[in-house]
Amino acid sequence: MRGTLIGLAGLLFVATATPAAAKWSLVASGSNAKAAGTISVTPGEEWNRNSKKPIKKGEVWTLDGLNLNELYFVSALAPGETLFKDIDKKNRPLPKLAASAVLTDIPEFFESSARITLNTSLFEITDVSPTKLGGNDAVKFTYNYAVTGESLTRKGVAVGALVRGQLYLISFAAPSIHFYDRDAPKAEAIMASARI
Amino acid sequence: MIRASTRESRLRNFALAAAALATLAEPMALAAQPTAPVAPPASTQGATTTSDDPALYKPTDKDERGLWMQMDEVERELKNSPEVIRDPALNAYVRSVLCKVATEARCANIRLYITRTPHFNATMAPNGVMQVWSGLLLRTTNEAQLAAILGHEYTHFQERHTLRLFRDIKKKTDAASFLNVIPFAGIISLGLLSSIFGFSREMERAADRGGLDLMAAGGYDTQEAARVWERLREEMDATAAERKTKSRKDKNGGMFATHPPSAERVTSLNEWAKASPGIPGASGADRYRAAIAPWWPQFVDDQLKLNDFGASEYLLSSLASTEWTPPLLYARGELYRRRAAPGDLEKAVQFYGEAIAGSGEMPEIWRGRGLALSKLGQSEAAKADLKEYLKRAPKAPDRALIAMLAGGE
Repeated sequence: MRGTLIGLAGLLFVATATPAAAKWSLVASGSNAKAAGTISVTPGEEWNRNSKKPIKKGEVWTLDGLNLNELYFVSALAPGETLFKDIDKKNRPLPKLAASAVLTDIPEFFESSARITLNTSLFEITDVSPTKLGGNDAVKFTYNYAVTGESLTRKGVAVGALVRGQLYLISFAAPSIHFYDRDAPKAEAIMASARI
Repeated sequence: MIRASTRESRLRNFALAAAALATLAEPMALAAQPTAPVAPPASTQGATTTSDDPALYKPTDKDERGLWMQMDEVERELKNSPEVIRDPALNAYVRSVLCKVATEARCANIRLYITRTPHFNATMAPNGVMQVWSGLLLRTTNEAQLAAILGHEYTHFQERHTLRLFRDIKKKTDAASFLNVIPFAGIISLGLLSSIFGFSREMERAADRGGLDLMAAGGYDTQEAARVWERLREEMDATAAERKTKSRKDKNGGMFATHPPSAERVTSLNEWAKASPGIPGASGADRYRAAIAPWWPQFVDDQLKLNDFGASEYLLSSLASTEWTPPLLYARGELYRRRAAPGDLEKAVQFYGEAIAGSGEMPEIWRGRGLALSKLGQSEAAKADLKEYLKRAPKAPDRALIAMLAGGE
């Protein structure tokens, strides 16, 4: 769990205090599902949705468990809000979404938030290109990272858009061994199906 | 999938880490690993062996063998960690400084690992594993300061501080009738904690003193030892000023108060430096700069992404104390562009411009200025800069996106 963004970003800590609180529910294949409140997607396979939200505007899905594949949705994140749970505001505050943010800021915002959350410097953005998210101009980027005490590296792909100044983002991450290659196409199909 | 990390196991991990590593300092907050404390009790078995005694490097009894075994396991993981910087040149340099303070014969017993961790810290394990964090290399400004740190860590090893701490913890937790089988898990009382940590602060003092003597013997200007801590205090002030919080520099309470307050540390080190000056003026600043130079851009980049504007600005300014070089100007431009508070983008454009005027050649300078200009509404100038970036970095990872913003290539 310590290597997963979402586990670190909040779920783990919440779950430690109240282990019974996090519930999983099934998202049916081919269904028209709402993710994080306002993003509509159509998954091509069954996913598991966690009832515990890492942040108010975020939601987590997985196929086999967050250690193996995690899909993170963020919907309508407003300026001044953080991408993950701001668990140590005093000593290592997460960056806040800027009102002036543009597409090129999204990968930087994601990277800085992830580095602080994961407490790692081994985080690299590997490719950044323009795309669409639900018909809106968007940025797609890939990344990889490793965390302290783990020899495992993970890879990720994300799509983000700013709509009326608010951030919509879908990010998928999985171990670079086996799981990323197996599951990234499924996640990317979900990203392509998204409507905002 | 949510693995419950129980309080007991967390405490145990904490205590294990505490017992296993003698860390330099954690005032920068946030080390992933809890620190390790150490300090000789009056009752310590006289573990100080003369340093050339071969027995120093072997575990001598059950407690010590146990600690070594645990640390050997940690080292096995470390060996495969992607965090370890394996660059032979950087490793050889840091090791050469260690060998100057610890002497050639003795430094052979230390396995040095430089890790890519952007905070100020170094750790020493009882089995000879020394870790130096990249954030430390960004913060020390010359070889003498690095020597002070390495000497401090080496003293922990030589004096077997970890073993003494381990015994102290065991004694106290037993006394409190906590789990005998796993003595570590018993450390939950704050009273016990503060007494153990108070004890560890004394060991920190001893390591400061020992480190300074080693530094003097190695031929360095010992006044630089206090400078390390002075600079850290200044950096903490800078972080706090920007965040509008209280500086942590004199924070000395709480569970992790394992180290002497920096102010006291500075005073003591300055006093000892008078008694044991080493070679005044021998700071090795040029050698240090040359050795770290290939890694600076990486370390600075790691720092910029920490969302700590105050500390980053402080560090850049101090690195630039003699000259604002194009890479430093570029970094400063990035820092202001990312913060983007009112007036910041204009400043960023200015810094990028100065970097270019100073013959800076990194393609990212044009990228940064182009993005900043674009936000300032100067779209033609922005496009020209972004095109220049693409021309200079044809394989840039963000080529496709930037090309769109530049209106073609």
